[in-house]
Amino acid sequence: MPQPATAARHPRRRTLTLIASTLLLAACTGTPRTPDASAATPQVTGPLCAALPTGTDPGNPTFLASQPVEAALRWIPTLTTFEAALRTSGVLDDLPAGTAVTVLAPTDDAFAATFSEDNWDDLMTHHTDQLRTLLKAHLSTGAHPIDDLSTAGTTTTLDGATITVTRTGATTRLADRADTVCADYQATNARIHLINAVLGPLPATADGTGHRAH
Amino acid sequence: MRRQRTTLLAVSTLLTITLTAAPTPASAQSAPQPRQVTNLTVHQADGYATLAWTPVDDATDYQIERTAVDTDGTPTAAPTIVGIWRPNRQINQQAPTFADSGFNPGDTFQWRVRARTGTTEQPYSDPVTGTTTAPWGNPDTPGQQLRTQWETTHAAQYTSDTDEYAYTAAIDALSDRVRVVELGRTVQNRPINMLVIGHPTPATTPEAVAATAPVAINCNVHGNEPGDREACLIMARQLAFSTDPRITDLLRHTTVLIVPTINGDGRANNTRGNSTGQDLNRDYSLIRQPETAAYITMVRDYRPVAGYDGHEFGNSRAGDLPMLPPRHQNVAQPIFDQSQDMIEGHMYAKGAEAGWWPCPYGCEGGGNVGLSEETILRNTLGLKNVTNSLLELRSSGGQTRPDEGNTANNRRRKTYSALWTFQQFLDYHRADRADILTSRADAIKIQAANTGRLVFRGSRPIPAHPAPHPGDSPPPLDATPANLILDNAPCAYKLTDAQYNGARTDGPGGVGTTVAQRIAAHGWKVITTTDGYYVPLNQPERGLIPLLLDPTGVEKLTDGERVYPTLTGRRNGPLTVTGFTCAANATINGPVTVRAGAALVTTGTTISGPVTATRAAGIMLADSTVNGPVQITNTTDAVSIIDVTIAGPVSLTGNTTGTDLPLLAGSTIRGPLTCTGNNPTPTNLGVANTVHGPRTTQCAAL
Repeated sequence: MPQPATAARHPRRRTLTLIASTLLLAACTGTPRTPDASAATPQVTGPLCAALPTGTDPGNPTFLASQPVEAALRWIPTLTTFEAALRTSGVLDDLPAGTAVTVLAPTDDAFAATFSEDNWDDLMTHHTDQLRTLLKAHLSTGAHPIDDLSTAGTTTTLDGATITVTRTGATTRLADRADTVCADYQATNARIHLINAVLGPLPATADGTGHRAH
Repeated sequence: MRRQRTTLLAVSTLLTITLTAAPTPASAQSAPQPRQVTNLTVHQADGYATLAWTPVDDATDYQIERTAVDTDGTPTAAPTIVGIWRPNRQINQQAPTFADSGFNPGDTFQWRVRARTGTTEQPYSDPVTGTTTAPWGNPDTPGQQLRTQWETTHAAQYTSDTDEYAYTAAIDALSDRVRVVELGRTVQNRPINMLVIGHPTPATTPEAVAATAPVAINCNVHGNEPGDREACLIMARQLAFSTDPRITDLLRHTTVLIVPTINGDGRANNTRGNSTGQDLNRDYSLIRQPETAAYITMVRDYRPVAGYDGHEFGNSRAGDLPMLPPRHQNVAQPIFDQSQDMIEGHMYAKGAEAGWWPCPYGCEGGGNVGLSEETILRNTLGLKNVTNSLLELRSSGGQTRPDEGNTANNRRRKTYSALWTFQQFLDYHRADRADILTSRADAIKIQAANTGRLVFRGSRPIPAHPAPHPGDSPPPLDATPANLILDNAPCAYKLTDAQYNGARTDGPGGVGTTVAQRIAAHGWKVITTTDGYYVPLNQPERGLIPLLLDPTGVEKLTDGERVYPTLTGRRNGPLTVTGFTCAANATINGPVTVRAGAALVTTGTTISGPVTATRAAGIMLADSTVNGPVQITNTTDAVSIIDVTIAGPVSLTGNTTGTDLPLLAGSTIRGPLTCTGNNPTPTNLGVANTVHGPRTTQCAAL
């Protein structure tokens, strides 16, 4: 709807943008997304953070801090592959209730650079065991800030592997192949660190030429 | 359902703000600097802003800068280069436009544009400030106030399955124009819904909808390509609640069919394929999966005359909106030509006005794409005589939209470019409806005539335009290899009972529907005789049948037996048809009697004398002439008369053909037409007949 038609009938609306957007939000059926003022203000760090919801955007880090980890992952726009895989595999559901967790979450770009689309669909639909192992390589128990991990120097993921964690300037390198791109998202009983490469043992199948025909 | 409020604001998606650079007093007194962009204007539309300017001599390209500002015009963020205009964007380089998109709709910005000569940056234009168009719909008006999950989360989340169902159900409840129907279920039992949208209300049955020459948009076949689906959901709200005369005019002249999510399981899991891993856009002919079977059954019942199929595309060098017509060489030429007209005649021209960049699929560096698999919806629909196009949304910002590292910006650009395309698609149908229907009628006649070679794979070429032009990089040629050409097309394919009704293992969980069920979903006529199941080629989908039933088919259902004509040339004297008789290019002088359980199939044939069939299995005449009366009574399997000239009365009586509709289309009858007691009622597929005589009830509208 073009603005002027509205403005003609409601001249004040143009100066009430904030109120109008509040009404928009109130009119919708989604979950409430007003930041919980009492939550701690998480400080996410990394080159990708600015491109993700910030400030008072829906899905901002402060809001996510009050969310269960599954819900928080759904809000981070670059994790659609990882989030769906985690949900499909049921790996998080298998953890004992109340288990604190650290999530090393590869971005969609990281998955696209690792697995061909056919290979990924095959993993998602036919090889649940492999998928679960892959995802466990991105989870560890305890909600660890990234600096705690790099101070420890290593961390052991749920697949049993122990990987190195090294501070490299502004970001942190994991298993000598992944760098954090936005670290230290908080969620209830969880830390989420976005990384730019896929961990775990599965071979890369993406050939770099990338795009499937329609 | 609720009544329309009379107090609705007169809103219009066509209505746009135009803001022109207001020179400061200083610059007003001085002439523009050399090679400075002048006359920058910004038009606001749904989710994008069209920038236009006077071109600069010798410009290599242009950079579009956007700066967020507050209500006082004070910048609130750093200026950002959001767009690169290049000469291959549009057909008329002398009137450059750029659709800026990706911003949060409703926010206020300042734009500037500068030319580059080589890599040398020239002075910026004077700035233009404007407030972008807020998400469509008055937040205080019931119905219009609905928003998708994608909209309320500022594109951080895609609309979930449950949110889609709630949203479309709310539209259905609040708008008389909309009916949501369930076409089927996915493998994991998710509903596959379709919005049926008309004004003031949509026609009540599929057959009645078909009579309105509907358009169909398939929004999301690949679960990991969700951008078009969000556009569909927004457009559904606009169509349901807009008071814009353009929208109500569109909906009075057609029915819009929107299938938001054919692949709900793949969408939920963010996978390309469905839950079995099957790429559904490699299954529209074979229809092994319930999702594709649901769509193809819908096409059979609702008979859309035009379509779009939404995707996303990873080639970062492509245009904003790669498009492609049905290229398979078995697609009738008028459908290919009409689809090309929609893309190149309409979308290229309108894209140049709005600033979007449609191009042929593939575009620059497209590689081995855009080919002839009939399993792809684009080709399947073309073979079903539907003018249509693939639509891709370039996945990444690419080289011309450098600010799309921000996920929300990227997602919004994709969705709002799809929304523009789908709205343009409706405008094209509205403006060119007569041509689309003529192309469809011609295509049905061409196909039913069963003339010309059959190819099993191979595409029509997409011509290249001289560069720079959006069409300067078409997809590969994709010529047909000699071993996939059948010059001598058969009359029909014969299937054994095992082939036709046998159990199959090619569906989910190793269980497939039978060939009989799939042929029924396609809507093909089948004639059963004592020695087998015949699928004649003198039908509207003649080009698709061999791809599934011929032994040479690349992705076929079964190896049918080619059946060639038994009657050619001249024949004098009475003819009594027993068994399956196929006449091609024959001249039959004498009365023709089709016995009970027998079948007559003709193409290119002239019969001088009456044609009488009583309790026949099937009568299928196409591209033929009958000089005498035609009386078809109590047929059991199939009745089809396409593009036939009949000098004499025609009577269709008491034919009971199960779920298969008797067909009388594109024919001329010099005499009365009597249709009584047929079950189901005959149809003309929207291809009118010429009848020089009275018509009875069942055929009154044919």
